[in-house]
Amino acid sequence: MADVLSVGVNLEAFSQAISAIQALRSSVSRVFDCLKDGMRNKETLEGREKAFIAHFQDNLHSVNRDLNELERLSNLVGKPSENHPLHNSGLLSLDPVQDKTPLYSQLLQAYKWSNKLQYHAGLASGLLNQQSLKRSANQMGVSAKRRPKAQPTTLVLPPQYVDDVISRIDRMFPEMSIHLSRPNGTSAMLLVTLGKVLKVIVVMRSLFIDRTIVKGYNENVYTEDGKLDIWSKSNYQVFQKVTDHATTALLHYQLPQMPDVVVRSFMTWLRSYIKLFQAPCQRCGKFLQDGLPPTWRDFRTLEAFHDTCRQ
Amino acid sequence: MGVTCVSQMPVAEGKSVQQTVELLTRKLEMLGAEKQGTFCVDCETYHTAASTLGSQGQAGKLMYVMHNSEYPLSCFALFENGPCLIADTNFDVLMVKLKGFFQSAKASKIETRGPRYQYCDFLVKVGTVTMGPSARGISVEVEYGPCVVASDCWSLLLEFLQSFLGSHTPGAPPVFGNRHDAVYGPADTMIQYMELFNKIRKQQQVPVAGIR
Repeated sequence: MADVLSVGVNLEAFSQAISAIQALRSSVSRVFDCLKDGMRNKETLEGREKAFIAHFQDNLHSVNRDLNELERLSNLVGKPSENHPLHNSGLLSLDPVQDKTPLYSQLLQAYKWSNKLQYHAGLASGLLNQQSLKRSANQMGVSAKRRPKAQPTTLVLPPQYVDDVISRIDRMFPEMSIHLSRPNGTSAMLLVTLGKVLKVIVVMRSLFIDRTIVKGYNENVYTEDGKLDIWSKSNYQVFQKVTDHATTALLHYQLPQMPDVVVRSFMTWLRSYIKLFQAPCQRCGKFLQDGLPPTWRDFRTLEAFHDTCRQ
Repeated sequence: MGVTCVSQMPVAEGKSVQQTVELLTRKLEMLGAEKQGTFCVDCETYHTAASTLGSQGQAGKLMYVMHNSEYPLSCFALFENGPCLIADTNFDVLMVKLKGFFQSAKASKIETRGPRYQYCDFLVKVGTVTMGPSARGISVEVEYGPCVVASDCWSLLLEFLQSFLGSHTPGAPPVFGNRHDAVYGPADTMIQYMELFNKIRKQQQVPVAGIR
């Protein structure tokens, strides 16, 4: 019992306090009984009033006495759980059979774990927001609701501006020809022909690049009804690989505030494929690896590497 | 249609044509190439008829009429160092009508047949060149589909050829140097086959048994 008292749980005081509460309740109900019964029949009106007041006073005194007693006891009982950091769950540590029910240690572990999780999740969300793979704000869902004013205006650029940016890029690279068309509303589709090496279909939404398909120079890029075929992939493994890399590049080059810079960087990167069949790998010095030429181009240096040679 | 290199593979010492072809195909299969059917290229020679020759006594030009199983609906007519005509297969019938101008050379038909292998974007055809009943040599054709400019991918092709031909890797075919930056076409392949056949015709006949 001594250790129980040491944590401030005075059981004796508890039982006394409970009986004090009972006493208080009964004295309070006696007050109301007296009020309900009113003045009893006595000889004179004066005698009746005197007796009633005296009775009422007695009752109120006993209520007061019981209340004081309860207050005194409640100070003894104290507030045992308040000084423990885990509040009431801290009482689990009082369980003497630790081996059979290791609830308390498990609880502490879980608490630490969830604390850490919250901390790391906060860090991760901060980092991910910096390097967001979502390239426009209207895909953000929940967070977009929270700050509806953060929507970039880049999705509502006038088509004329897009045309200007594309034609400027077209003039920048003489070995690259870009043909712009708008078969479905305002979204532009580009057919980029790079030397006599490859053709790229670029699907744009405003100035964002949504999708690219790389095909061979001698491959058909149109469907039977004369539209650009944006769905079928190249018949050649090398261009399927380059398509994969181009999609990686789309996600790498992004700068939501300056979409024209993004398109220009992407095209500069794409232009390095003019030497697709002529440049040996910068790491192994060979042309072929598993039958494929170096299909990867470094995003910064534009050097050629095999897919497995890059690091 | 990609850039194609046609070359001749010498028959290995002490081996027959058939054995050398088997050696090559085994090497290709080890490399990971998959067999995809067979191929055939044939060539027939025509002389210009004497009656049409000019008075200056110039020698008659030779014309070669060729077929390639890769282009089953086409017929190729070539002059040595001259233009190459690509026509429908009906051209053969036309040649019969043109007997007065072009006469078929006797027993001049030469052809190459063999398996066709695919490795990544490469197409490899190893053929046995036969003239009449006798096997005359081995042709190796390597096509790299994705590329259309010969000078762009020659180093790459060379590396691939080295991987299974070893020391017998050929030099760049003359057609590669003809037109810089030009798009490679089926006619360029046929010119290479014509040159290969002419080279083999001039070689002394090696009697080899065991060919169909």
